[in-house]
Order: sequence, then C-alpha cells, then structure tokens
Amino acid sequence: MSTVATLSRVSFASLTPNNLGTVRKLNSVIFPIKYSEKFYQDILNPELEDFCKLVYYNDVPVGTICCRFETQGDQTNLYLMTMGVLAPYRSRTLGSQSLDLILATASTHKSKINKIYLHVQVSNESAKKFYERHGFQEVGVHANYYKKIAPHDAWVLEKAF
Amino acid sequence: MSKLQLAKRALPSKEGTLFKDVLTLYETRQLKKGLKTADQILKKFPEHGETMCMKGLILVHMGRREEGMDLVKKGVRLDLTSHICWHVFGLIQKGEKNYEEALKSYMQALRFDKENMNILRDAASLQSQLRLYDGLVETRHTLARCRPVLRANWIALSVAYHLNGNLEEAKKVLEHYEDSLKNVPDYDVEHSETTMYHVKVLEDIGDYAEALAFLDVNSKSRVIVDKTGVMETRARLLSKLKSDEAEHAWRVLIDHNPDCTDYYNGYLTSQNISSDDAALLVLKEISSQIPRANAPRRLALAYSSGDQFRELAKEYLTSALVKGVPSLFADIKSLYENQARLESIQSILEQLLAEHTPASSSPTEPTTYLWILYFQAQHFSHLSQYDKALEVLERAITHTPTLPELYTCKGRVLKRAGDPYGAARALEEARRLDGQDRFLNTKCAKYHLRAGLINEAYHFFGLFTKKDAASPSADLEDMQSLLYLIEDADAQRRLGKLNLALKKYAVINKVFDEIEDDQYDFHGYSMRKFTVNIYLNLLTWEDNLRSHPVYVKAALSASQIFVALHDDPSIVKRFTSSEPLTSAEKKAQKKAKKAAHKKEEDKKPAAPTSTNEDKGLEIPNADDDPDGLKLLGCSDPLERAAKFLHPLTTLASKNIDVWIAVYDVAIRRKKYLQAVRALAHARELDADYPELHVRLAHLRKTVTSLPQVPPAPIGEVFTSTVSALLPDEVTLETFNSQYLQRHSSSPLAIFAAARVLKTLDGPLEEVDNTIFSTLGPDVKLTLKSARTMLDYLVQLGSLRVEEYRTSCDQRFPLATVFKTAEEQASLMKETVEMPIASPKDEVEI
Repeated sequence: MSTVATLSRVSFASLTPNNLGTVRKLNSVIFPIKYSEKFYQDILNPELEDFCKLVYYNDVPVGTICCRFETQGDQTNLYLMTMGVLAPYRSRTLGSQSLDLILATASTHKSKINKIYLHVQVSNESAKKFYERHGFQEVGVHANYYKKIAPHDAWVLEKAF
Repeated sequence: MSKLQLAKRALPSKEGTLFKDVLTLYETRQLKKGLKTADQILKKFPEHGETMCMKGLILVHMGRREEGMDLVKKGVRLDLTSHICWHVFGLIQKGEKNYEEALKSYMQALRFDKENMNILRDAASLQSQLRLYDGLVETRHTLARCRPVLRANWIALSVAYHLNGNLEEAKKVLEHYEDSLKNVPDYDVEHSETTMYHVKVLEDIGDYAEALAFLDVNSKSRVIVDKTGVMETRARLLSKLKSDEAEHAWRVLIDHNPDCTDYYNGYLTSQNISSDDAALLVLKEISSQIPRANAPRRLALAYSSGDQFRELAKEYLTSALVKGVPSLFADIKSLYENQARLESIQSILEQLLAEHTPASSSPTEPTTYLWILYFQAQHFSHLSQYDKALEVLERAITHTPTLPELYTCKGRVLKRAGDPYGAARALEEARRLDGQDRFLNTKCAKYHLRAGLINEAYHFFGLFTKKDAASPSADLEDMQSLLYLIEDADAQRRLGKLNLALKKYAVINKVFDEIEDDQYDFHGYSMRKFTVNIYLNLLTWEDNLRSHPVYVKAALSASQIFVALHDDPSIVKRFTSSEPLTSAEKKAQKKAKKAAHKKEEDKKPAAPTSTNEDKGLEIPNADDDPDGLKLLGCSDPLERAAKFLHPLTTLASKNIDVWIAVYDVAIRRKKYLQAVRALAHARELDADYPELHVRLAHLRKTVTSLPQVPPAPIGEVFTSTVSALLPDEVTLETFNSQYLQRHSSSPLAIFAAARVLKTLDGPLEEVDNTIFSTLGPDVKLTLKSARTMLDYLVQLGSLRVEEYRTSCDQRFPLATVFKTAEEQASLMKETVEMPIASPKDEVEI
C-alpha cells in the first residue's frame, strides 16, 4: 500500500475579530513582550490587511506577521512590529515566505512605501542574519528600546524599496 | 332529511348567491369582505347554520379565535345535517391539531355528502396521520372511484392497502393501474417512482424472483430513473434469492460508491464468507483495485488480528496521522472492544511517537507529531487514565498552542475526571481561537451549562443566534435544538430550579409533538408527487420517533420531578414567594408591568392595518407560564408523567430505567397491575439492577400496607406477579442483606441496600456505615456513584457528610465536584472571569 507523499501546505490568512484570539495566543507564546489592547485593535484596520497575516502550516496556525504604516513628513514607511513562528515549525522557510509576501506587496503598494524597518534585540544574532539575508541593513542601535527585558538595546534594520 | 331542515337551509336566490360569494371570498382569503357578506345573510336569516359556520371560520382566520369557535359550534348545532357545517368544524379542529375529533367531524360531513373530494382528501390525510388504515382504504377507494382519471388516486389506494397489510390487493391495484397507462414518456420520474414502489410491494410479498424480473424489465426499457436505487434493489433481491449473480451486483455497487460500508457488508454476506481471513482477502483485493477508498481499509481492521492487525493498523493510522485527520480516534475507538487490538494500537502509538518525535534523527513533520499526541491523549482518556491524558495534552499544547482540538480534548478529559469548571475554562480557550466556529461555540456553551454557569452559557449561545429573537433561548427553542434544550433542562435541575427544568422538558415534549405533526402534509403531497417509497420510510421513522435518546432522557427526568412533586407537594411553595413584597419591589414590579404593556401597545398600531391578513387556523404560540411555576404547581403531575412515559414502553422497552420510572408513576396512581408488570419487565432485563432492588422493597411495603387485595380480575395476577418478584416468605431484612452480600463490590448496589435499610427504619448510623463501605478497597467506586451518595448523605442529614466528602476529594484528585461549596463558588468565579489580555502590562510598541 503506498503511503501518501507529504507536501506541506503553507497558507496565509487576513486578520479578523474571529481569529484575533489565535493571534493573541501565538504572540503570548512566541514573544517575551505583552502587547496592548490597542495593538490588537490596530492590526484589524482594513488598510493594513495586506500587511498583517496569520501563517498556516498544514492548516494549523503557527505564525504571525504584523506591520503598521508610519508617516515621516511626506514619506510613508512600513514598520514591522512582530513576526514569529512557533518553535517546532521554524527552519522551514515559513519566516522567509511571510517576509517575502510582505515585501512583494509593499513594493507594488499604492501609497508608495519608502522603506521597511524593524527592531531586533541585540542578543538575537540569528534574527539579524535572517533579515540581512533578505536585504536588510543595520542603520543604527536604539539604546534602551526594551524596558522590561535584557539586554535593553535593539538594532534598527532597514530595507528601502 | 326532513322538509323542515331543507327549508331551514335553503336560501332564496339573492341570499343563495351571497352565500356562494362567502365561500369564494373565503377561498380567496378576502376575509373582511367575506365577513361583511356573511353578516348580510345573517341579518335576514340569523339562524342559518351554514353561514354562521362560515362566519366563524373567517373570524378564526382573522385571529378572533374564541368568537369564531363559538359561532361555529352554534352553527353546527343549528344545522346538524349540513356537510358544510361539519366540514368547517373539522377544519377548525384540525387546526388545533385535534386529529381524532377532526376525523369524527369529517366522517359526519361525509355522511351528508359522500363524494365531496375536499372532504375525502382531508379525511384520508387524517386517517393516515392517526394510522387508521381500515378507514383509509375505504376513503381512498371512494376517491379512486369518483375520479379515476387522477392517477395519484390509484397509487394512494394501493398504498392504503399496503399500509393496512393487504399486499395482494395493493399489487392488484398497481397492475390494473399500469395496464391503464397510455403514452408514458421515457424516464418519467413519476412513473419511475411508481415502478420502484411496485417492486417494493413484490419484495414485501416475498416474490423475490418476480420482483427482480419486474425490476430488470423496467430498468432496461427506460422507465426507471433512479440508477442507484436499481442497483441497490437488484443486489438486495439477488442476495435474498441467494443467487450467484449477487456477488457481481454488490461489486458493481462498490465500484459505484467505494466508501459505503453497507455495500461491503452486502458483498461479504452474499459470498457466504464465514471466516475472517476470507473476508480479509476480499477486502485487500478491493483495496488494491480502488486504492483511494477508505472503507475497505477500515473494514479490514475489524476482520484482522494479531500481527496482520498490527501491520494494517499501523499503516492505516500512519496515513491518517500524516494527513492530519482529527476524527481518527472516533473512527478507531470501536476496535477497542477487543483487548488485544487495544494493546496493539497502544504499542503502535508508542512506536509512532518514537519515530516522529522532533528529537529523532530523521526529518519529521511537526504536524504529524502533533496529531499523534492528540490521538494518544484521547486514547488515555478512553481508558480513564486522566493524568496521563492531561500530561500528553500539556505537551501538545506547549508544542502547538493554536490547535482548538487540543483544548476541547482537555475539556473533555477534565469533565470526565470530575472538574466541570476546568473543563469550561478549557473550552473557552478553544472558543477564543476561532470566533466563527459554531461548533466550538456550542460546545463551550454546553460545558458552561454543565458547570452551572447558565447566564454565561446564554451569552455564548447569543453570539450565534438570531439577533432579533427574544433571547438566545427563544431562538434555539424555535430551531428545535434538542441539544440545547436537554442541557439547559438538566442544568436547571442540578441547580434545583425545578420549575425551569420542568418547563424545558415540556418544551422538548412539544418539539417531538411538532415533528410528529409535520408529517401531516406529506400524506397528500407524497401521493401527488408519487414519491411512495420514501413516504413509507417517513411513516416508519415517525412511528419510532420517540425512541430518540433526548426524548427518553427528558421523559425520565421529568417523570422523576413529577413523582417528587407528588410525594412532597411542599416543594412548590419554595418557588412561590409567600412574603409580601416590599414597597420598593412593588414599585419595580409595577414599572416592569407598565413597560411590558407599553410594548404591547406599540405593537398594536401595526395590527389594525392588517385585519385582512390571514392568520391561518393554527393556534398561535403564547407563553403564559414564563417561569414554569404553573407547570410546577399543576394538579395532575402523575398523569402528565404517565403520558410522557407512555411511548417509551414500546419504543424503548430494553431500557430498564424506563420500567423503573413507569413503576414509580403507576404505583402512586394505584395502577397496581401496571406497576408490577413494569417491575417484571425490569427483572427480565437485569434482575440485579440496584434501582430495581429499591423498588422491590417499596413494592413489598406498599403491598403490606394495602387495606385489601386488589379485586378480581387483577387480584390473582397481581399477587402471583408480586410473589414471583419477591417471594412472600423472605423478609425484607433478609432480602436486603443477601443482596448486599452478593454485590459487595458494586457501589450502586451498596447504595441501593442502604436506601432500603432506611425505609426499613434502620438506625441512621447503620445506613451511614453502609454508604461508607463504598470507600473500601474492594469497591469499584466511580465518580458518578460517589456524587450520588454524597448528595444522599446530605439529604439524609448525616453527621458524617464532611468525612465522606473529603475522602472522595482525596480519592479523585482531579475532581472539583467534591470541594466545599465555597471552594466551588470561587472556582465558578474564576471561570467566569477568564482574562483575555492584561492591557496594563508593558507595551513595547
């Protein structure tokens, strides 16, 4: 009897009030920081639909990616707030696929996004390398960015479009 | 008819035309005009029965029910030989769902107008509804004779004969009917259905060969449309004929639908396959030919054993776990009845875990590991190893905390382990993961009902029920959600709110009444559309309707409450506050009344504009007993209980609890023969049943206290049955202690013995001791029985309640149902106030 060949399915879903609970659950487990109610309300903004996603692996929700818009004068930037995948599902290109999705959508977005940037805790070398592989560059260090976790400093990584 | 009567009925030409107008206006539902016209006639002829009846009918349609009813009754009395009057009366009664009386009226109407099509058709429907098949045959006969052109009349006649058990006549009618047909187009659905029905009649007669021949001729000559039906019937008939062609017929069906297990069973029986190995070979062969079919692979598991089972099971489990099938355990668990297979699966699970654990060398899918853990948790739960199950689930939740199934499983395990609050919390966690999953929502609400958190449950239900319904409960009642009704009723009962519980049980009864009434329209409709076979299935299904487990539960629970009410009428007083209301409460009540009144008035302006609206003949649903207090205080609790239980004596006769309940009600109604017969039935099912033991003691006590033996003819039967149940020479004390000795390891048996001891006025200490013996090492104490006994000790006013409670609490560490009332209250609070997020915490963004 032949066994079914396993082709892992990766899919993305937009955020809704109905799957917000899953987003909360993922964030509480993946990140050392607790996010506010405002954060969870903001990511439901329809304007951000393309940039806030749930990541599914074989139809199980395993990761999230959330961005927001920031205006700097007459420029619009994309700030990557959170991106993470549950531990057992890492190293399977899920992170890359999510990031690539965002980057692709951002590059053709109507409001001419200038750049995308994010913070990475200075102890997280592997994360920094991950973003550098995707064309991000370190542009500086934000001292004491984290109040409650140590080390408190964070790199600022950027990628222009 | 006397000349006088004729004279009274006949109207002069002007009024006669007006009367014809009334009839037409009624038929076209122009109610206001009809009313006016009727009044015109009545002005001149105030005693004209027929007009009065028509007016009454129109009034009922307009919602003025009482007026209308009175008028109709008057009209009938004024003109007892008018078919119109009786017809109208019958219509009204039919609208009230009073089918027996309606049929009587219709029969009267038929006396005076033997060949009125309308009346005949309605009468036929009523006879079908009431299962009065003799009358039905006559009615259908008349209809066919009067209108032979209408094909449906002939089919209906045939069906009537069939239902009445006269298959030969049914067949003859069909044959005559078919001979008379001309120019039937190919693949005509109505003729196809009729032919399939004819085949069924032949099959029921037992003429399998003739049925088969008839079927084949017609399927080849482009008559029958239902290809699958033909294939299934062929296979069935060939099997009944034990023909060699049966195998091929079943094989054709399997190819047609490889996932229908009925076809495989048919195939295997047709082959006279006796040994499991032969069956296995067959299934393997089919599997290799149809690799994607699930049924043969699953069936093979039931036929294999030993190493072969291991091999097949491992393969079946692996492919399902890799695919991620959530229902795998539910599929497999029927195999667990066989201990050897159970152990095989357990070791396969461990193997799979070893292979798929993330730490192992070969690359594995994390989701496969996840589903294996999920399966294993359900496995342990099934074996009542709750600690292990919870441990596995914790591992799984740490691995992937976003899978709702893990939390529903955790909830179920906690429920079984006796922690309803933890279970409710787990289900709430599951529900939050997916707000649009109604299954999770319903399960969450149900678990809250089980934990006694009724308002929270309603809140959850309300997230999915119609927004414009009066309340979530009202919407679910409307939708006839039996799941909701029985859970709510049971929850109210557990909280001691007997009035609300009883009300919901009554609603369940009403739902089943409605489902029974729903078949009414089909008696006519199915004949018009010629869908006879499925109609016959419907009738059988409706006949067995009340064997539904929810009905059984509701009937048993409600009858227990009714019996308790009979035994202690003071219960009702607890629910009606006898203290005078304070002035503040009085003001509040007045305000509420005013608000409700205003609501009614706001609705009214809408009504006058639609007085012409046809409200139909059915009685509108008005809830005049919102708190169930009227029902609780009803004067005939035992009669209601008996009515509730009655269908179960035929439809659930293998359920011993039904007979116990019947006894409880019958003995209090002094229906002695019914009571002892019930116990005799119970004894046949299980002579050692603990509840039966208690009732036997009750019976002995009742019999000894009877002033005299029940009179003949029941006297003899009664006394002989009693002696058969419990020999006269044996004293109750001996009977009880013997029973206790025989069943010293069964907690419920010990409980029964303790209760009997109490009725024998045994000392409280001895009763206590008996119950405490359930804590002993040899007794297989279960959670449920422990709870029952704790409740009993409380009820008894025993001094050792705390001792028992703490012992149980220690014995069942995962349970919370043995905690003190305060502890449970705080657990409930914790469940209600589950935090979603802590917004005051550090915000980095």
